Amino acid sequence: MSKPVLIVGGGPAGLSAAHALASVGQSVVMVEKEDRLGGAPILSGYAKLIPSGEWARDAIGSMVARVEQNALVEARLNCQVNEFSGAPGKFQAQLSDGSKIEAGATILTTGFTHFDSINKPEWGFGTYDDVVTTTQVEQMISTGGGVRCPSDGRKPERVAILLCVGSRDRQIGREWCSKVCCTVSANLAMEIREELPDCHVYIYYMDIRTYGLYEDLYYWKSQEEFRVKYIKARIAEVTSDGQRLIVKGEDTLVKRPITIPFDMVVHAIGMDPNVDNMKLGAIFDVDLESHGHIGRGSNYSALATTSRAGVFVAGAATGPETIDDSISQGQAAAMAALATLNQNIGAA
Amino acid sequence: MPIHEKTLIRPENLRVQESLEIDGVDVSGHWSTFIESRAITDYNEAIEDEVAALPGGEYIHRCWQCGSCTNSCTVNAINAEFNPRHWIYLVRIGMESELLRDKEIIWQCVSCNKCTYACPRDVNPEGVMKSLAHWLELKGHTEKSPAQHFDEVFAGQVFATGKIEEGRIIRAFFARTGQALRQDWLMVMAKRLVRHLPLKMMIAMGIGTMFQPKTRGWGRARAAIAEHIAEQKARERKALGLTD
Repeated sequence: MSKPVLIVGGGPAGLSAAHALASVGQSVVMVEKEDRLGGAPILSGYAKLIPSGEWARDAIGSMVARVEQNALVEARLNCQVNEFSGAPGKFQAQLSDGSKIEAGATILTTGFTHFDSINKPEWGFGTYDDVVTTTQVEQMISTGGGVRCPSDGRKPERVAILLCVGSRDRQIGREWCSKVCCTVSANLAMEIREELPDCHVYIYYMDIRTYGLYEDLYYWKSQEEFRVKYIKARIAEVTSDGQRLIVKGEDTLVKRPITIPFDMVVHAIGMDPNVDNMKLGAIFDVDLESHGHIGRGSNYSALATTSRAGVFVAGAATGPETIDDSISQGQAAAMAALATLNQNIGAA
Repeated sequence: MPIHEKTLIRPENLRVQESLEIDGVDVSGHWSTFIESRAITDYNEAIEDEVAALPGGEYIHRCWQCGSCTNSCTVNAINAEFNPRHWIYLVRIGMESELLRDKEIIWQCVSCNKCTYACPRDVNPEGVMKSLAHWLELKGHTEKSPAQHFDEVFAGQVFATGKIEEGRIIRAFFARTGQALRQDWLMVMAKRLVRHLPLKMMIAMGIGTMFQPKTRGWGRARAAIAEHIAEQKARERKALGLTD
């Protein structure tokens, strides 16, 4: 019987890889540092997913249940890999719970870390209660509480969503596009308008990157059916007049400064490399790419590879990624891990 | 180094105190020059809804400011100040004061509909221009345009009689717009008509001008049209918050 595949991280990519491996009879050990499986969609309480519109707790929840109920998958919660050594077919991992496991191959599905808006203090997060992040709005919706101003619980009459918070910004060393925030913001804007039809929603953007089929399904739909307004401006600062938030910037289309009152400002936060990536890179001896994500070994000839043979990577660990692409990559990594196991049958 | 922002300073935004002394220093005249802020301090969401409530403006909210309408515009080719994209934007964010600066240009749209075919989002910019000119007029910002007068005379006659009688239209239009009936081009046209038009048609035209015949049984149609127009006008005035 072959050794198990070690999967590090129980988010969409990891769950997808685990299910794929188990469904062809391959045993899996899944190590998850948090107290439950599901990754960001579950841990951060996302609302409805793009593009299906299913609630995250249902869609990702069913992926969790499928893995938890499979006897071939052993999930170790509240657990991390402390040491990792060996070669394809005969890796050894020392876990934080004191146990040791052997693995034929490893898949890193360690995901990302949400950008912490405190690093852009000029946009008021941490200073004003009513400046929130897209993740917080997701939680307002997913918990059923509705979109309310945190300061006093009132229904906002005007909401500003600021795009590219923690993305495309050399000032804070984050030069990448986080890929999902435009679509997520258009989706949340529609959710807000649906719940609060009298609330006007403005999206401040530099470019709109609702790529592929999201163009009309999210961007156009938000404008045409939900009357969300898009203003081409990168906001300079968010302040307050003591009553409402004041959003300042330049309306680039009319070349005029704006100082507009808002009830709520939402930061469309980007996807940082996992805050643990330096540690993970050292433990697993894999290279990180220039932005700090786990580097891909090859883009074309081999699937899901890292710089180390037998150690694979999938999902947002490699850079900003959507949930559905993370799931696809998880399956690709599972296939690659299986190939490694087959090539190393009989390895001591 | 030239100050390029100077182009953004408008004479009406300059404030100068004729006589002013601050801390014993005389700063009268241009020494006290102050430029009023250009900052947009609020959005007015009502204007877009109002323009959208008038015929032609229904799809204004689709605009994403690509500029295809302005690029394809017949009038813009002659007058660069004529910029449908810009006005659509001003309506959408509710910059009424900025919009009113262009109120004497906006109605000059010639309805060639090139923008209609260029627009990637089916905003129907030509319709928006029509709606916007209508909005300016209903709000009392502009007089009726000559084209509007012509439309009213023309449509009014059709509604009244079910027929079009050119002579009457021209006379009524000229009267409304304060133009003399004796126009050189009109005299030339009349002379040529007299010379070349078959006698039978000439007599028919004369009778039409003098007696203004109606389409048979027009009464019911006229009543229905009048009712529809009254409803439409009432709806428009309500959408614009106007009371009669």
